[in-house]
Amino acid sequence: MSDALLSVSNLTIDYIGAETDFRAVDDVSFDVAPGEVFGLAGESGCGKSTIAFAVSRLHAPPALIRKGSQIRLAGRDVLRLNRKDLADFRWREVAMVFQSAMNSLNPVLRIEEQFYDVLRTHTGCTRNEARARTAEMLKLVDIKPERMRDYPHQFSGGMRQRIVIAICLALDPKLVVMDEPTTALDVVVQREILQRIDELRRQRGFSVLFITHDLGLMVQFCDRIGVMLSGKMVEQGPSEAIFRAPQHDYTKRLWASFPSLKGGVLG
Amino acid sequence: MGQLWIGLRRNRKAFIGLAIVLLILLVALAAPLLTEYNPAARTGRPHQPPSAEHILGTTRLGQDVWARLIYGAQTSLAVGFAAGLLITVVGTTLGIVAGYRGGKTDEVISFFTNMVLVVPNLPLLLVIASFVGQAGPMVIALILGLTSWAWGARVTRAETLSVKQRDFVKAAEMMGEPQWRIMAFEILPNVFSIVGINFIGSVIFAVITEATLEFLGLGDPNVISWGTMLYNAQKASALSVGAWWDILAPCLALALLGIGLSLLNFAVDEIANPRLRTGGRLARWTSLVKSGEGRL
Amino acid sequence: MPFLLRRILFYLAAFVAAATINFFLPRLMPGDPVALMFSSAASELPPESLEALKLTFGFVDGPLWKQYLTYLSSIFTGDLGVSVKYFPLPVTDLLGRALLWTVGLVGTATLVSFVLGSFLGMVAAWRRGSRLDVVLSVSAIFATSIPAVVTSLVALFVFGFTLGWFPTGYAHDPALDPSFSLAFFASVAHHAILPLITLCFVLTGGFTVTMRNNMINLLGQDYVVMARAKGLSDRRVMVWYAARNALLPTVSSLAIALGTVLGGSLVTEVVFNYPGLGNTLYQAILARDYPVIQGQLLVMTAAMLVSNFIVDVSYVLLDPRLKGSG
Repeated sequence: MSDALLSVSNLTIDYIGAETDFRAVDDVSFDVAPGEVFGLAGESGCGKSTIAFAVSRLHAPPALIRKGSQIRLAGRDVLRLNRKDLADFRWREVAMVFQSAMNSLNPVLRIEEQFYDVLRTHTGCTRNEARARTAEMLKLVDIKPERMRDYPHQFSGGMRQRIVIAICLALDPKLVVMDEPTTALDVVVQREILQRIDELRRQRGFSVLFITHDLGLMVQFCDRIGVMLSGKMVEQGPSEAIFRAPQHDYTKRLWASFPSLKGGVLG
Repeated sequence: MGQLWIGLRRNRKAFIGLAIVLLILLVALAAPLLTEYNPAARTGRPHQPPSAEHILGTTRLGQDVWARLIYGAQTSLAVGFAAGLLITVVGTTLGIVAGYRGGKTDEVISFFTNMVLVVPNLPLLLVIASFVGQAGPMVIALILGLTSWAWGARVTRAETLSVKQRDFVKAAEMMGEPQWRIMAFEILPNVFSIVGINFIGSVIFAVITEATLEFLGLGDPNVISWGTMLYNAQKASALSVGAWWDILAPCLALALLGIGLSLLNFAVDEIANPRLRTGGRLARWTSLVKSGEGRL
Repeated sequence: MPFLLRRILFYLAAFVAAATINFFLPRLMPGDPVALMFSSAASELPPESLEALKLTFGFVDGPLWKQYLTYLSSIFTGDLGVSVKYFPLPVTDLLGRALLWTVGLVGTATLVSFVLGSFLGMVAAWRRGSRLDVVLSVSAIFATSIPAVVTSLVALFVFGFTLGWFPTGYAHDPALDPSFSLAFFASVAHHAILPLITLCFVLTGGFTVTMRNNMINLLGQDYVVMARAKGLSDRRVMVWYAARNALLPTVSSLAIALGTVLGGSLVTEVVFNYPGLGNTLYQAILARDYPVIQGQLLVMTAAMLVSNFIVDVSYVLLDPRLKGSG
C-alpha cells in the first residue's frame, strides 16, 4: 500500500541485557491509511506499546531497533531522521496519548504552560497566540478555557485525559497514537472519551493507532485490527473479519475468553 | 535474600566495598601479629616521623601510631557494628510494627519518629555524653543505638506499608496467622533490602559519630580508638607542629572504612532498585549501536 | 494554611521534647544532679549567682512537675542560665554570638551544595549509565562517606599548613576590629573559604546522590515521556519535567539532612578554630560548662526547626498540589 500514512515494515526491537536479549517486537509489518483507526490487540507484554514508542522514536537504552526495520510516515523515513528533524517531527506529525490519565500531565506546570511549550517549540508563536489556541483546543474537548490557569491535580482523571487529547490535536498531527488511553478511567468516562475522539477524527481527519487489551472496545472503535502474540503479529484484517472469522488459533482463543458483545459503544 | 546475594556477587561496587571492609577487619583482628608494640606504651621519642622502626611515626607521648591505628580499628569496628545492629533492630522493629499495625500505634510511633528526626542528633548526643562523663566505646554505642533509629524506622515503615498490601500477607491474615508471625515471617523478609541499607548506613553513621564524639573530647581518652587518636593529636596541636602522621593516619583509616561501607551500601541499594545502577550494563547495547546492528 | 500550621505545632512539640531531655537527663544520672551540674560552678560563682542558676534549671523545692514547669518557664522567657566558664556572660549571649557565625557558614554551605549537588545529580540521572554518570556517582559516594572531621583535618593540613593558601584559624584577622569596611569583609571571606569548601565537599555528594536517585525514579513517568514525545528540547524536558519534579522529594530530604549539616559544622568549626557554636561547645565540653552544653541543644534544635520551617515553606511554594489544600 503506497498510499498508507504510516507504514511499518519488518520492525524488530530487542531489549539488550548484559548477557541475553529479549525480543519485544519480532518482524512486524502493518500499514495505517489516512483517516483510519488501526488497532493493536494482545495481552500486556506482547510488544504493542513497544511499537507505539518506536513510531515516535521514544525508546531509551537498552531498547534497540534492529537494522532492516522500517517506519515511514507520510513518505518520511522515521528511523533516519536526525536530531533536529526528529524534534520537529514529534507531535507535529505524530502525537501520543499515554496509558495513565492521572500521570500524563506535569503536576507542577499550569495547563496553559503545557500547551505553550508545544506551541512555542513547533510554531514559535507568542504567549497570547498560544493562549488563543489553547482556549480553542480546550473548548474542543468541553473544558472551560478559563481553567487553563489551573494545575493538573485540579481536574478529574477523565478531564485530564481530555486535556491530553486537546494537547495532542494542538498542532493538527496526521497520526495520534493512543496507548491504552482509557484503562485508568471508569467505564462511563471511557465511553465518553472514545466518542469524543471518534467525532474529532471525523472532523479533522487524523489517523489513530489504537492500542488496548480490551477487545470489546477494539472491535467497536477500529477499522482494522492487528493481533499480537509475544512480539509477532499473528493476524491482521478488518475488525469485522477478525471478529467473525478469526484465522489464527490465538485470536480464536481471545474471542472465546471474551464475554459476548452487546451493541456498539459508538452506535 | 538469595537474589540479594547473587546481585552482590555480580556488582563491582559491592566487591570492592566488601574487600575494603574485610581487609580492615582482618588487620584489626590480627593486630597483635602485625606489630610488636603495645599501643598504650611509650615506645619511642615523641613525635618521630615515619621510619623503619615506627612505620607511621610516634605520637607526642611517644606511642607507636601504627600500633594504635590497628588496635584502634578493633574499637571503631566493634562500636560501629554494635551500634549499627542496635540502631537497625530498634528502627526495623518500630518501622514494621507502625507500618503493619497502623492506626493509633502508627500515629504514636510516627510522631516520636518525626520528633527524633527534627531534634539535631549530634547536639543531643553531646548533651547525653557530657552527663555520662568520659564515655567508653560501648556506652557510646548504646547511646547511639537509642537515639539514632528514627531514619530507619521511617523508611522501614514506608516499605512495610506497601508490602502489607501484597497477596501473601492477605493470605496469611485469612489463615489466621498471629500478627507477630506475619510481621516476622511475611513482612521482614520482604523489606530485607531496606534493612540491609539501614544496617550498613547505621554502621557508617556510628563509626563516624563515635570518632566525632571522641574527637570533641566526650570519650574516654585512655581508650585506644581512631576518635581518641584524633582527639589526642588535636590536643597536641599535631598539625601546627608538623606531626602530620599523627593526625592523617586515623583520618585516612576513617575515610577508607567509610568508603568501603558506602560502596557496599550503594551496591545493596542498586540491587534493590536496579534503575539506579551506574554503567556496565549498557556495554553490549553501545557496541551493537556502534556496529550498526540497530538504533534507538 | 493548615499544612504549615500543623508543622508549627509539631515543631513546638519537638522543642519541648528537647527541653524535657535537658530537664530529666541530670536527674536520671546516678548521684546528686545539683552537684553534678554545678560542681565546677560552685567553686567559681558567687553564691547568689549559683542560686539563680539552680532556679533557672528548675532545682527548686517542690514536686517534680513544679520543677519541670519552673525550667520550662525559664526557657520560654529566654533564660538559659549563665556560662560557668565565661561568668557572668549569659548562655543566650554567648551562644547567640556564636550562632551568627555558624548560621553564616552553614547557610552558605547548604545553599551552595544544594544547588550544586542537585545540578550534578540532575545531569547524572539524565545521562544515566554514561561515563559521566559513573564518575559523578562514584565521586559523590566517596565525598559522602568521608567523615567531616577527616575532610576538615586534611583540608587544614593541605591548604592551611602545607600550601599556606588560607588562614588556619579564626573568623577574621584578629588585628581587625569588626566594622563595615571592605578590609574586614575581605578578611572574613578569606577565613571562611576553607571551612566552607570542606562543608560543601561533605554535603554536595549527598545532594547529588539524592537528586540522582529521585530523578531516575521519575524518568519513566508518563509526563516525562510525553514531554519527549512533544518534541521539546532535551534541556526543557530535563529541567522542567524531570528535575523540577525530582526537586520535591530532594527538598524534603533537605530537612533531614540539616541535622547532619549542623553536626558537620560543629566539627569543622573546632578544626578550623572558627568562633561558631561548634568551637564554643568544644570549650564548654572541656570545661564541663553544663549550662552552655544544655543551652546549645535548645539553640540547635531551634535553629533546626526554623530551617525545617523554611524547607516546609519552600516545599509548599514548589508543589502546587499543596497550595490552598490541606
